[in-house]
Amino acid sequence: MAGHEEFVEADNAEAIITRIEHKSRKIESLLKQSKPVEALKTALEGSPPKTRDERCKSANWIVVHRAIMAIKDVDGMFSSLDPEYYDILMKYLYRGLATGDRPTCDQCLRIHEKLTERAGLGCILRALADTVNTV
Amino acid sequence: MAAVSVHQFAQCITCHAWSPDHTMVALCPNNNEVHIYRYSLDKWEKIHVLQKHDQIVSGIDWSSMSNRIVTVSHDRNSYVWNQEASEWVPTLVILRLNRAALCVQWSPKENKFAVGSGAKTVCICYYEQENNWWVSKLIRKKHNSSVTGVAWHPNNILLATTSTDGKCRVFSTFIKGVDPRGSGTSVSSDSKFGEQIVQLDLSFSWAFGVKWSPSGNTLAYVGHNSMIYFVDDVGPSPLAQNVAIRDLPLRDVLFVSERVVIGVGFDCNPMVFAADETGIWSFVRFLDERKISSSTSKYGSQFSEAFGKLYGQTKQGFWNDAIEPSRPRGGVHENCINCILPLKKAGDAIVKRFSTSGLDGKVVIWDLENQTDISSYL
Repeated sequence: MAGHEEFVEADNAEAIITRIEHKSRKIESLLKQSKPVEALKTALEGSPPKTRDERCKSANWIVVHRAIMAIKDVDGMFSSLDPEYYDILMKYLYRGLATGDRPTCDQCLRIHEKLTERAGLGCILRALADTVNTV
Repeated sequence: MAAVSVHQFAQCITCHAWSPDHTMVALCPNNNEVHIYRYSLDKWEKIHVLQKHDQIVSGIDWSSMSNRIVTVSHDRNSYVWNQEASEWVPTLVILRLNRAALCVQWSPKENKFAVGSGAKTVCICYYEQENNWWVSKLIRKKHNSSVTGVAWHPNNILLATTSTDGKCRVFSTFIKGVDPRGSGTSVSSDSKFGEQIVQLDLSFSWAFGVKWSPSGNTLAYVGHNSMIYFVDDVGPSPLAQNVAIRDLPLRDVLFVSERVVIGVGFDCNPMVFAADETGIWSFVRFLDERKISSSTSKYGSQFSEAFGKLYGQTKQGFWNDAIEPSRPRGGVHENCINCILPLKKAGDAIVKRFSTSGLDGKVVIWDLENQTDISSYL
């Protein structure tokens, strides 16, 4: 994908947070250009699942949340989102549903329905059963 | 239709095993007994009830050459049953477990059997002629959680195990006096009993249902996260493939040939996986042709109701077949399939028929002979 090719060790929290800030700026610019699907892909990419640091996970969640809320056309999004992103998106949808915040939950639910149709129940299973790589 | 015969034996079947000539089946109807049925004159009749265990019988295996049945149970015991005249006589095997036994399998030469347990150990039992009893040797190390599945490699030495800690491990079970020296492959020839050959760290959730391919070159096992893992060249540098499953997880697998695997599980429908010429595995199709209940509902009534509630009131008109939650889903099995066994005729190189049993209490026999698209992979 465009941009972030640098490989950062998973255990360096500071480096990860800096990378997430980079991503955040890129996402803002993509959203201004009305490219919400690109923004979502950038947000989901390089999600740091192997780190145990809650700050990294929260920082990435904020970025992904911003991209998710900006999606208006859910069906259109799926036509250009590659299947490799389905599993990680499902994990973030559950994190969104866990917040309990009304607009977030509405949006996440809308996307969840379409994602389940596309990816099947196996996608939900993988998001729920994986307790090691959490988001 | 791939399913050639369906029989309802009980309300729920924990596990089953076939006699050497496939005329009798031993199964556990979810209690502490083992029922043996024989097929005669077009129907099944119950001919024996083996009652020795105190708790549910979690594993049964019937050896094809020596005609012995081994049963293991949650009561931490195991019995080897020998047929004398018309009765089955049990011999207690002291496993030295402090937790339930979960699975059992005879080794290819039938001189040993392996038991997986909730005590994070695997028991390898062999017969000691001098004392006329079965001795159990434990593999205590390495497992961090219950051992859910065991599978013997064709060389009678290597054993693969799956555990609820998500890992699949291969051990050597070489026992002096039982196994001839130098009978292992290059990987296992210098190993001593209980030595771990390789640990496969592919799954992040419970692992089940491990099996070796007929040549012993490939290993397949499933994870509870709707994944199936295929590993070639099991050894110091294995080649692993993770195949994501679209639907619900599997519980057990069977190698029908070197390149075709059948997986069974919570979808109540056997799934066929095949490897192409380059060795890449992928899902082919479901074996059972199932009628789709309605054009809009993709998951059947059971899930429609749940999803209907999840997606809110506005969708109520959409899921109009959600009235009866436990309607049969149109397939042969109505509940999770948890056991799959080959029904191989002597002299056949590949498995053409196999049987499945599940929580719905049915045993179904499937035949791949008429499935032309799958036969091309075999």
